[in-house]
Amino acid sequence: MLMLPELIIVFTAFLVLILDLIFLKKKNTWLVMIAIAGVVAAGISAFVLFEQTGELLGGRFAVDSVGLWFKLIFLVATGLTLMMSVEAFDVRAKGLLTHQAEFLAVLLFSLSGMLFLVSSRDLISLYVSLELATIPLFALTAWSRTEVSGEGAFKYLAMGALGSAFFLYGLGLLFGLTGHMSLVEIASALQTGPALFLAAGLITAGVGFKLTLVPFHMWAPDAYQGAPTPVTAFLSVASKAAGVAVAFVIFYRLFGEHLSSWSGVVAVLATVTMTVGNLVAVLQSNLKRFMAYSAISQAGYIILGFLGNDAQNATAMVFYMLVYVVTNLAAFSVIVMHVHQTGREEIDSMKGLSITNPLLALAMMVALFGLAGIPPLAGFVGKFFLFSVAAKAGYYWLVGVAAVNSTVSLYYYLRIVRQMYIEPPVAGTAPLRVSGLPAVGLVIATVGSMILGVVPVFYERIGADTIQWLASLARVP
Amino acid sequence: MLFHWVLLSLALFSVGIYGVLTRRNAVGLLISVELMLNAAAINLVVFNRYVAPAQVDGQVMAIFVMALAAAEVLVGMAILVMLFRKRKSADVTKMMGLRH
Repeated sequence: MLMLPELIIVFTAFLVLILDLIFLKKKNTWLVMIAIAGVVAAGISAFVLFEQTGELLGGRFAVDSVGLWFKLIFLVATGLTLMMSVEAFDVRAKGLLTHQAEFLAVLLFSLSGMLFLVSSRDLISLYVSLELATIPLFALTAWSRTEVSGEGAFKYLAMGALGSAFFLYGLGLLFGLTGHMSLVEIASALQTGPALFLAAGLITAGVGFKLTLVPFHMWAPDAYQGAPTPVTAFLSVASKAAGVAVAFVIFYRLFGEHLSSWSGVVAVLATVTMTVGNLVAVLQSNLKRFMAYSAISQAGYIILGFLGNDAQNATAMVFYMLVYVVTNLAAFSVIVMHVHQTGREEIDSMKGLSITNPLLALAMMVALFGLAGIPPLAGFVGKFFLFSVAAKAGYYWLVGVAAVNSTVSLYYYLRIVRQMYIEPPVAGTAPLRVSGLPAVGLVIATVGSMILGVVPVFYERIGADTIQWLASLARVP
Repeated sequence: MLFHWVLLSLALFSVGIYGVLTRRNAVGLLISVELMLNAAAINLVVFNRYVAPAQVDGQVMAIFVMALAAAEVLVGMAILVMLFRKRKSADVTKMMGLRH
């Protein structure tokens, strides 16, 4: 029962493939519905499990309370991505995607990798599920089979493989230092020393590639721009959440007490990531490339949660991840509709959206303000908790840097709002069609990005779960 | 003895990094990444032998690493073949279509 969400996802992936084979001739738009139903079913089964924790396969697969929050984040991200991807399979779409069933199956396999990832309790399953989450993403990036798509995918693959080699070398060193594969045993046997720092550095680099931290971010703008737009949306949230999940498992479970001596490195990485991401985003003219740099700077905020291993840090990070997923996907729902119906990706092609589609423009504005962190929205609350964590760890200068960066980010998010609200539309621009599923996804994401910050239930629940999780870690001998 | 083996894997890893940074041909780049992954696999087997000889965990992981590296290269080659058909070149330094 504990593995139910994962099994449902794998089953759905195969079901979609087989149904496509059986009904090959028909137009299979309902395949997306099946995939979404699978994700929802997995979400419900995870939700039912919420009070249950336990181990399977001799402790190699374990379900814990914080892990379930991560699973919820992955499922929400995938569900919303699936809803907006209907747009790309529409026969009227510019840049139409082909092979719908395979696309859905590969996406779901990636999701299953992410779900296994947070539950793995030894180095082997951790590495295998990380690769299961990542390798399908390379294929998805190349899905539209154009030159830019292939180029982005190849850069992503080369950098991703480099990152996973660093990560694997770090894991090998951990194995060599302790002689154990199980995360629990490694954590208790680990002793500080130069070799541990080398391993931590290699692992940070490997995770940094997934999280797009700045010295390791080179692939992100190209892959995000080249990928089909729904895949860009998925990359910007799910792949990042997977990176956070790996980092969380390794840093909190494995390094634990040693994490505080690593906080200087995290602080420097966060500073560089925020600043470079923000400054370069100001210069972008392509929407997807712009969102890539915005996502890079958001990664800089998220890793503030690794400044220490308190319950507060973990809570702030998991909460912000949830907020970031819904907010970013709300923005991407609009971008996907825009790109696939107009075939244009420049920022100034969104000119006058508030006149042609007032509601879409409003949703986009709310999402962008959420990403920038304007008060009533969830993005502000999430950032507030992350910044207070940094202040509590004693990094006051870092809080200053982060606050300045938030202001800079407001400037470039407002550039899009300006195009939508102040510039007049080009004469004869047809309004965007809003079809059923993408509209539902957009509404869910927008409502989520507003209420998560106002309704305290989520934060409190995550907080209670993390405290309990850390207490259970401390009990392990 | 352990020292020599670790040195070997470190050398392989470094050669791999050098290859990734300098290779112009995309296939060469993939092979360099493969070298890095294999260096890590050697590490695992060697540590298994000298640090925890009673277990087989390290060797099992090395086998998984081989399989995953093959999967990674497979996807890489598929993308590369698709790209090669479009542009008739496997030179990574000429992949500049995405700069603005």
